[in-house]
Amino acid sequence: MGDYLLEMRGITKEFSGVKAIDGIDLTVRPGECVGLCGENGAGKSTLMKVLSAVYPPGTWEGTILWEGKPLQARNIRETEDAGIVIIHQELMMVPHLSVAENIFLGTEPTTFAGFVDYDAMNARAAELMKQLKMPDINVALPVMAYSGGKQQLIEIAKALNKNAKLLILDEPTSALTAAETATLLELVKEFKARGMACVYISHKLEEVAEIADTVTVIRDGAHVATAPMAELTTDKIITLMVGREMKNLYPKSDHTIGEVIFEARNVTVFDTTNTTRKLVDDVSFQLRRGEILGVAGLVGAGRTELASHLFGCWKGEHRGEIFLEGRPVRVHSPRDAVRQGICMVPEDRKRHGIVPLMGVGHNITMSVLPRFTRLSLIDEEEEMAVIQAEILRMKIKTAQPLLPIASLSGGNQQKAVVGKMLLPEPKVLILDEPTRGVDVGAKYEIYKLIFELAEQGVAVLMISSELPEVLGISDRVLVMGEGRLRGDFPNTGLSQEQILAAALGKQDKVAA
Amino acid sequence: MTLTRKDVRTFLSTNKIVALLLVIAVIWAFFGYMTYDADLGGSQFLTARNFSNLLRQMAITGMLASAMVFVIVAGEIDLSVGSLLGLLGGIAAVLDVSYHWPLAGTVAVVILLGIVIGLFVGWLTAYQGIPSFIVTLGGMLVWRGAVLGLTGGITVAPASEPLKVIGQGYLPDLGGDVLAALLFLLLAVMAFRTRAGRIKHALPVSSIVVEVLRLAAIGAVILGFVLTLDSYRGVPVPVLILLVILGVFTIVGQKTVFGRRIYAVGSNLEATRLSGVDVNLVKMLVFGMMGLMCAFAGLTTTARLAAGTPSAGTGAELDAIASCFIGGTSMRGGVGTVIGALVGALIMASLDNGMSMLGVETFWQQIVKGVILVAAVWMDIVSSGNTR
Repeated sequence: MGDYLLEMRGITKEFSGVKAIDGIDLTVRPGECVGLCGENGAGKSTLMKVLSAVYPPGTWEGTILWEGKPLQARNIRETEDAGIVIIHQELMMVPHLSVAENIFLGTEPTTFAGFVDYDAMNARAAELMKQLKMPDINVALPVMAYSGGKQQLIEIAKALNKNAKLLILDEPTSALTAAETATLLELVKEFKARGMACVYISHKLEEVAEIADTVTVIRDGAHVATAPMAELTTDKIITLMVGREMKNLYPKSDHTIGEVIFEARNVTVFDTTNTTRKLVDDVSFQLRRGEILGVAGLVGAGRTELASHLFGCWKGEHRGEIFLEGRPVRVHSPRDAVRQGICMVPEDRKRHGIVPLMGVGHNITMSVLPRFTRLSLIDEEEEMAVIQAEILRMKIKTAQPLLPIASLSGGNQQKAVVGKMLLPEPKVLILDEPTRGVDVGAKYEIYKLIFELAEQGVAVLMISSELPEVLGISDRVLVMGEGRLRGDFPNTGLSQEQILAAALGKQDKVAA
Repeated sequence: MTLTRKDVRTFLSTNKIVALLLVIAVIWAFFGYMTYDADLGGSQFLTARNFSNLLRQMAITGMLASAMVFVIVAGEIDLSVGSLLGLLGGIAAVLDVSYHWPLAGTVAVVILLGIVIGLFVGWLTAYQGIPSFIVTLGGMLVWRGAVLGLTGGITVAPASEPLKVIGQGYLPDLGGDVLAALLFLLLAVMAFRTRAGRIKHALPVSSIVVEVLRLAAIGAVILGFVLTLDSYRGVPVPVLILLVILGVFTIVGQKTVFGRRIYAVGSNLEATRLSGVDVNLVKMLVFGMMGLMCAFAGLTTTARLAAGTPSAGTGAELDAIASCFIGGTSMRGGVGTVIGALVGALIMASLDNGMSMLGVETFWQQIVKGVILVAAVWMDIVSSGNTR
């Protein structure tokens, strides 16, 4: 039994009398990759916070053995010194500092006079970039010059630099494109081969299936199962996670597709800083009543920018014509869009979706608040009735309708944001990554809702980086790459490979 | 159920106003004890006369704080209110003293000017994107310069009798009693309408006993308030104005679409914009409200001094901002109430008044006020568990 690198036994952590996690075991051998799965709120983050001493010893029960000896770390710094490095879902980067400065933040090499030794730092950082197969990154440039995907890899370089023996990746690919994800997974495999262990936390079970040797599933704070991946399938993991069998991830329903309701013509969107660069280049498409149109593509393909144009919230230069029910409409602001019947659920829930300090209910009614006024005063009872109906319809789990939305789990926040955008009764609903960072159960609810809307005749435009989702939901798929429309496929017998090939611009490989 | 320290803490952090009222009780008890004089027949601080003075002293800061709280909730700041108060008060004095305008004309022009200037500041911030700190720092200098130019640096006096009433008048006892009764009636009707509405929509309601007890408590406070003031000279006019502002602004903040949006803008501007809200308009209107309150405060100041002085309102912006923060308004926006800000202003006024009575030197008064401001915000942070 002594061959474990990390051995966590019977970890129990209480918050004011409520057990967040209750007797969880997690073991990792050297060079092993353990997939940690569980729905949002299952206790994955709490467990990792116990391990990284965000909750110091004494505030929880159980034992942690690190390399056979009890782990004596009292804070994150000490766990990192021991060789345990966590990479969080949200990137911890200082955007204005250079790549190298970020990698060496807190461990800057100094000359004997006490100044930062930039030459050594940059050389070492460039070396790390080479190891990560990103030799073209200029380590002297500010981190913000690179995409979210590159930044994630830079974050990993930071971990490598700390001589991590155990790398904990918490939802590392939630903001990555398929290609970037593939690079990341390759890297993790390589680290494994070099003897580094890792704990991989992800909702994307395909990734877990690809790289994990062992999978530990937790549910509602309790340990459910630990088994070699070879004995499991993603379906089995889902069953373990939700505690019930989920045969069909995508509750496809029949819906009739009607006439063209929305059309965008020659949309071109320019970069806000580099004003001659086209982020969206002459894109035109049509959308029919009751149709679910998936928009696939790599990050940086211009999908979010296209949506921003349609919703009137792009801050830079943009042009293009929009027709709604055959009439040209002018959309200069989100307010115009909502009035015309175009609603959007934005990609970044925290920054653009929720108003954190306000109650769930008040978030939901934000777009339609004037509806409840009488003599310019809000009729709170009438509003509350709508809020409660909406909470029921969206199956939002909240103790009280007016609890601050920030205290809800990501999935429930997302359901509230979607609910907010449904109240104006849109004719066209744009969903930008609607299931990002959302657990399996909530995902299912959101999919069901999308189909319901389509049945009611709403035209849905869904941007998603998860190809299985695009294929599982859409009636038709648009593929974008480098700002251009690279494909428009009916979703009949379409494969992930075809979409990816189109996104990468390899048209010739797409079977006609 | 035993009451633990934690229970008390959660209660106080969810009912900030109770915590603030406790602070006032402590301050008043302290000054009440310190000013006790057996020869003069009791405490000099806790008299109807001093209570009346205290309220009149806080009225001007209170007017500014009532709107400042919305400015801060919306995530902005206004440093120009003291100077704008001075300018608008100066204009009122000039119209009244030099041109002998009737009161209604003076008031109308000053209020209109206040709103227009406020909206202009708001337009610069919201639509032109100049940070409000900069715009209002500039405004602070410009308005002060303007009032100096307007008055030629000298006091414009004496103000006419009708104007003086705004700052120095008292409501006759009967008038105060009738207003208090009407206010109580209004609150009672509103409480029961809310109750009926909640029952109609099958929402949970508190028991009828609790409801009646709560109304009785509110009634007792109103009664005590009016009787105390009546036993001196009646409700002071500026205090009446402040109370009306409190009522109207509380309703604006909590019951109107505009009010809800101020909080939304302050909590997350982008999310609010993407919900289809015209956030720039909301911000501009908030500054318009601030301008309106500067007009009220300017008129009251001129009326109270019976003169327009070029230095009127110097430093008033800091008192108003401090009142908001003491009253639980969040520096980061999205959180704050008018009643909180007014209680904050009352705390500041109580400190001023009590220390003056004790003959504490002015430099000490400033030091104490500064310490209280920082301590109040610190306590707020500690009690809500937001320490880093």
